[in-house]
Amino acid sequence: MSANETLPARKGVWSILWRGRLSRVCLLVVGFYTVVALAGEFHCAWHKIQDTLPTYQRQQLDQRFQPPGPGHWLGTDALGRDVGLRLVQGTRIAFRVGIITSLIAIPIGVLLGCLAGYFRGRVDDVIVWLYTTFASIPGLLFILAIAMVVGKGLLGIYLGIGLTTWVGVCRLIRAEVMKHRDRPYVQSARVLGLGHFRILFRHILPNVSHVIIVAFTLRFPASIGTEVFMSFLGIGVQGEPSWGIMINNARLRLWEGVWWEMTFVTLAVFFIVLAFNLLGDALRDALDPRLQATEEG
Amino acid sequence: MTRFLLRRFLHMIPTVGGVLLITFILFNLVGGSPALMTLGDKATPLQLEEFDEVRGFNRPLLFGWRGPTRALPFTDFTQSLGPWSAWPEATLDSRGFLSLPGPATVELPLAFLLFPNATYELKVRYRSDQPVKVHHAMLPAASDWQVQTLRIEAGDTADERRIRMKVEGTRFELAEVDLFRRMDSPWHSQFTYYLRHLARLDFGVSHSANEPVIDLLKSGIVPTLLLATPILFGELLISVVFALICARYRNRWPDRLLLVLSVALMSVNYLVWIVAGQYLLAFKLGWFPVWGFESWHYLLLPVLIGTLHGLGSNIRFYRTVMLDEMYKDYVRTAFAKGAGEARVLFRHVLPNAMIPVITNVVLSLPFLYTGSLLLESFFGIPGLGYLSVNAIHSSDVDVVRAVVLIGSVLYVVANLIADLLYAWVDPRVRLS
Repeated sequence: MSANETLPARKGVWSILWRGRLSRVCLLVVGFYTVVALAGEFHCAWHKIQDTLPTYQRQQLDQRFQPPGPGHWLGTDALGRDVGLRLVQGTRIAFRVGIITSLIAIPIGVLLGCLAGYFRGRVDDVIVWLYTTFASIPGLLFILAIAMVVGKGLLGIYLGIGLTTWVGVCRLIRAEVMKHRDRPYVQSARVLGLGHFRILFRHILPNVSHVIIVAFTLRFPASIGTEVFMSFLGIGVQGEPSWGIMINNARLRLWEGVWWEMTFVTLAVFFIVLAFNLLGDALRDALDPRLQATEEG
Repeated sequence: MTRFLLRRFLHMIPTVGGVLLITFILFNLVGGSPALMTLGDKATPLQLEEFDEVRGFNRPLLFGWRGPTRALPFTDFTQSLGPWSAWPEATLDSRGFLSLPGPATVELPLAFLLFPNATYELKVRYRSDQPVKVHHAMLPAASDWQVQTLRIEAGDTADERRIRMKVEGTRFELAEVDLFRRMDSPWHSQFTYYLRHLARLDFGVSHSANEPVIDLLKSGIVPTLLLATPILFGELLISVVFALICARYRNRWPDRLLLVLSVALMSVNYLVWIVAGQYLLAFKLGWFPVWGFESWHYLLLPVLIGTLHGLGSNIRFYRTVMLDEMYKDYVRTAFAKGAGEARVLFRHVLPNAMIPVITNVVLSLPFLYTGSLLLESFFGIPGLGYLSVNAIHSSDVDVVRAVVLIGSVLYVVANLIADLLYAWVDPRVRLS
């Protein structure tokens, strides 16, 4: 009855996604953004090694507010900086935030979820108490408060988002592990005399790992949205062109008819978030239709 | 029912305790010095100390007799004399201690006068050939390094709030010196201070507004509710209607179209909604006022934007809820006995689907309180969201902590109410 028992192998997931027309487009979009983010990373690293002012920070005051055209494909901003290059850096920061916050939140969530679901009893009580407590603190305010305490900058964003969003992952993993702990394969492993941790991490975890993939695709766009928001408020990235900072700069100029910076940033954010949202839906349908979209950005 | 209520109520206690603990850890422990965070580097030690004194941050964290004080800054005698160079005779020994030839009368280089009538503890590691009088206490003579802790009772007068030292021998050497605040009781800690003030509903004083936090919260709640209530119910109404349409035309074009639309709506960043709405509808077309809070006209645009933003995810959620019901036996029976479509949808499906809908609404009630951070600060609505954003900007610890705390407690209470409603509607829940 359970879809998990005939879970497609990891390779199968990709081919399912690739076969769907919409999800293939989404994969390509995500791939494109990844390449752009990597290019931005190299660009940034190159200037750091050379110890020069990055081209995306170079101000050319005689070239302020250039509309999109040959020299600057996406135009220039109020200080004559190239919008296209800054957009690439924004992508880099968005990806960093998406990946690093997932690297914080998912291991915590998976570890606690596994322990709670497998051992039940006291361990479960403590972990459930912990995540109910975390879940009852208003999300965005909690993130902002952590960022305020840690200090302005990327570290605050990483910790703020990472330390609050493990709750959803933990809840999903716990529910899945609880379903698996009395399955025949686990019982046989127990009869063979395998240790708890070996059963948990070598036998059960691979069978619930699809939850992690789905959680990642749900987390990623949400983290990007939060980062944009925080940088916009001025508690996020400092001195680097993040999408939130670009929107903040562009919105004042919009009133003077400078439409391009705003438009391009908006589109950049929209497409990556859309691609991840659609991909998340497709993955969920492919891997486990019963998982609900429980979290919203 | 009474037993269920009681049991559920008891369940609430550890969660509220957890929230208290987390806010305490976050602001008192992780944050380092809230005073420094709020007042900045330029504040004098006295300003910082007074900030801490008002908020109980200069106490031991959980339990203990000693609290920190900024009156005597830490000096590493292996490096320099620091403030101790104010003693003209003192020299720095290369083995890492301060050396003072006697006899002499000197005053400890305090950053500010001790707090009147407070008790301090001075811990010194020293060597001296004769006893040394410190304030009203005596350090015995010590031929080798010795650690002593003296009680310093600060008096009323300025003179009594300094620490004088009378060296009578020929040589006094000081390797380490530390000043602590001594508490009246080991239970006078930051944690008990925090709890005691919360029990009195005292959320502290906002530093930037110089007003009690509770007053700020009271004045912010009305605009927030005015903005958030129409958003909540507007969203609910529209998305339930659309969800019913989706459920009715499942997998046909109206459903598909609405699904695509809601994913697209979900993907538009909140900021973009606001910036574009403010620019196009308010500035270009002039349909709405741009900024401010003077009459109900000013609420129209924020309400519209807030509703649009939440629509995408809500339609998807309610669609799932409706679809779960659509395939139940009673719906088939209703259709089979010839009930009309509208009748089945509105009289049969909707009431049954109301349980998760109501739960969802009850659980989003606390967010009415925190308000919309973005909408309020963008449209200049002086509510709690606006307050929180400003507080975070000016690192106003007390305000942020109060908003976080009250928001969490409201959420816990809303959870309780949702469960009670659930148990009231569905008796099976009570028995399990």
